[in-house]
Amino acid sequence: MNRHVKLPALGALFLAAFAAANVHAEDIVVIVNPAAAPISKEQVADLYLGRSDAWVPVDQAVGSGIYVEFYKKVTGRDGAQIKAIWSRILFTGRGVPPKQLPDSDAVKKAVAANPKAVGYIEKSAVDASVKIALVLD
Amino acid sequence: MNFKLLPVIALILVLGTAMAHADATADTLDQHVTFSGFGTLGVVHSDYSQADFIGNVVQPRGAGDSSWSASLDSDLGVQANFTLTDALSGVVQILSRDDANGQFKPTIEWANLQYEITPDFKVRLGRMVLPTYEHSDTQNVGYTLPWVRIPIEIAYTDAGLYSDGIDVLYRVKTGSVTQNLQAQWGRTSVDLPGVEFTSIPAVVVVLSDTLQYGDTSLRLVYQKYSGSGLPPVQLRVTGAGLTYDPGAWFVMGDSNYSQDKFFGDFFAWYVSGGVRLGRFAPYAIYSTTRAQSVGTSGLKSLGNDHTVAVGVRLDFAKNLDTKLQLQQVTIDSLDDSASFAEIDPTARVGDKANVLSLTMDFVF
Repeated sequence: MNRHVKLPALGALFLAAFAAANVHAEDIVVIVNPAAAPISKEQVADLYLGRSDAWVPVDQAVGSGIYVEFYKKVTGRDGAQIKAIWSRILFTGRGVPPKQLPDSDAVKKAVAANPKAVGYIEKSAVDASVKIALVLD
Repeated sequence: MNFKLLPVIALILVLGTAMAHADATADTLDQHVTFSGFGTLGVVHSDYSQADFIGNVVQPRGAGDSSWSASLDSDLGVQANFTLTDALSGVVQILSRDDANGQFKPTIEWANLQYEITPDFKVRLGRMVLPTYEHSDTQNVGYTLPWVRIPIEIAYTDAGLYSDGIDVLYRVKTGSVTQNLQAQWGRTSVDLPGVEFTSIPAVVVVLSDTLQYGDTSLRLVYQKYSGSGLPPVQLRVTGAGLTYDPGAWFVMGDSNYSQDKFFGDFFAWYVSGGVRLGRFAPYAIYSTTRAQSVGTSGLKSLGNDHTVAVGVRLDFAKNLDTKLQLQQVTIDSLDDSASFAEIDPTARVGDKANVLSLTMDFVF
């Protein structure tokens, strides 16, 4: 009896793990206002590393899953490195880090409201209020 | 125009306008003013008893004689950023650290108003820290540095710390290269190496260009100081530095050549590299300064020393890091060797100091 119970349980566990991995690996997209010009991955990296003021970047919550993935994929850096880079800009009075918003809905709203704004959200969260500029896989 | 009053005027304008905007409600205040800060807690041990190892060229004493010193690297800074209008903003930063007077008396490091003509063209008025060498404008923010502190040799010319005046920032993109041009003009006070009579007033002119190409940046800077104190200040500093930092590792080098009528010429440089292995970032540095000529002071080989350092940075928690650094400094001249203060007559050229530094940096 034990064997029969265990096998499906094990299977369910695998499925759950797979699903979790899948959620984690969900595509992140860089979004812009529908009225905005195209933007390249290099431009996005420059924005979030404080090397450009050409657009207005908006950020997700520091340390959130999507934040960590985004910075890893676009800049090759982790949260501590990003904090150090922005501390350098902040404490020389040259700028302030991108505004942090609590979730993808808030990012989407901010991007929809400002033609200069750039943000990043899960692909599944995209709707007609914003335009996909890049897909990060 | 009274230059000494510039930071004070900037401060008053910034605070006044912010208050007017704040409208006495916390919500609006929140949108116009943001507070932040940084600091370092550090201890240093040197096994050399004939001189004090120092963390910053203006420090009158440091770690020596097998004792621990907490004054070399420890500091605390607080900053307020003000958003006044879309184009006008201000910043005020107050720092407490062991300075030329050997005290932790708070000083105003930054106090300026910035007007944004376009996102790439900004003018600042007030007090700005001088961009003399790589990281010089955040040398007290340990969290922004890969090492415990900036190699002291590069800072030996010890030109002015900040200037009270005007600063123009212009960013221009040509293909994949972004140039950050900066022109600065203001009043400063020059702390002279190796002498007690510090803070000689001078006018400083700065021209700098930082070229960014992806993860590579090249920094060029020229500074000219002139003042009619005793001795008269006639100093030019020309610097060049290169950094490549793709994230997983970094290499960098910085150098400057200083020409001082009174103290002679100096050439200082360092190279450094490191890798980032998860939360750990081990690194190594070689740094040196060499006198190139004798000035009217007659002092020879002023500042000469060289340092080999290895260390590791550990980002152990959010907004917190700790660093451990071991270095060996060799005295190459008894005339105010750059890394030391209070050099005893018993010290000899070729003497080596083994120095251990442990710090914790934070930002908030």
